[in-house]
Amino acid sequence: MEKYLRTPIKEIIGKHPPVGALLEEYNIGCVPCSVGTCLLADIVEIHNLSPEDEGRLMARIAGIVAPGRVVTLPEPRNLRPEASRKLSYSPPMKALVEEHRQIQRFLAVLPAVLDRFDARSEADRDLVRGGLDFIRSYADRFHHAKEEDILFASFDPGLDILKAMREDHERGRAHVRAAGEALARCDGEGTAANLRGYAGVLAEHIKKEDEILYPWMDRNLSVRQVGELFARFAAVDERFAEDRKKYESYVVWLEHATTESISEVR
Amino acid sequence: MMSGCPGSRTMTFPKDGGAEVPAGKVPSQLRQWPIQMHLVSPSAPYFQGADVVLAADCVPFAMGDFHSSYLKGKALAIACPKLDGDQEIYVEKLRGLFEDAKINSLTVTIMQVPCCRGLLGLAMQALKASSRKVPVKSVIVSLQGEVLQEEWASA
Repeated sequence: MEKYLRTPIKEIIGKHPPVGALLEEYNIGCVPCSVGTCLLADIVEIHNLSPEDEGRLMARIAGIVAPGRVVTLPEPRNLRPEASRKLSYSPPMKALVEEHRQIQRFLAVLPAVLDRFDARSEADRDLVRGGLDFIRSYADRFHHAKEEDILFASFDPGLDILKAMREDHERGRAHVRAAGEALARCDGEGTAANLRGYAGVLAEHIKKEDEILYPWMDRNLSVRQVGELFARFAAVDERFAEDRKKYESYVVWLEHATTESISEVR
Repeated sequence: MMSGCPGSRTMTFPKDGGAEVPAGKVPSQLRQWPIQMHLVSPSAPYFQGADVVLAADCVPFAMGDFHSSYLKGKALAIACPKLDGDQEIYVEKLRGLFEDAKINSLTVTIMQVPCCRGLLGLAMQALKASSRKVPVKSVIVSLQGEVLQEEWASA
């Protein structure tokens, strides 16, 4: 079993596809991950399962990868109290989660904007330009920069989970670049398809960070590191204070504008 | 039937022969003096930029590993929210730690008895009044020294 614990998850799922379905059963979403270099041992650790669930999961994986063979299962290493498995963010993580809520509010109204988007209309193009500006400035320059330049820098840059998160950011940026280019040539379908692609990447990415990455980071950060992250985030917040207000107001405006235009159509 | 204040109810904790303890002397992790809240000053050098533990008086006696688990690498202040007087001074000193000493974090360790929550209340009151915010963690310790709850407090 030790050999499998040190094997990248995509390799295990590739050879033994039922392992993917089994991980899904435990809300471990490795199947859609585009990187998949995380080791099985790290994945089990990162998801912080109860000792009972961890034991059951490992036994079932052993049954798939080595059926009929006697394997030595690792001792559930989870000695943390039940309380540490509940989601309770440290203040810097809580700030990032609150920023996610803003991005999710934007993503929630995006389909309504795109459904009625007419690339020949200057007003519609302006509306989408505003959305691209929100993504580039708030989601990327403000929020993702905090993550990449400050938070991720507190951990080993070679960690597979961080590589996967950075790749999500890059995939999002590629969609936004392509959407901007499509908009410039008044290509409505291209603009909408890339923005929908962006929304898909971000929705899944935010879920991974809120439910898996940030709680794992919180379990591994010292009090000293939490205090330092908090201070560095506060400095970024101060620099970005005016813009932040502007973009948070923009989300509220977009929600109202979208609701009103849907009511008008009805 | 139990009655009266849980903070002063008489109890004994029988130990069956004593738990295993590390051999030899265990070094203290205390790096400063004084430590009592009325005696410490936010301008003391050991508080500047530090991670600070504000411990209820009983906590280090209840917890066998307080020094290694909570005190190591941190500055300390101790107080009793039930018996100490002039606690408004504590609020001002804590505000001084946040604003003037620019501490990096505050960990408030308290006992599970209800009166001990007052110490966390003082810290949160000071944080609310402070122009500079700092992460505050609360740790609730059982009468026999186990950590019952450890979480970040919301300002």
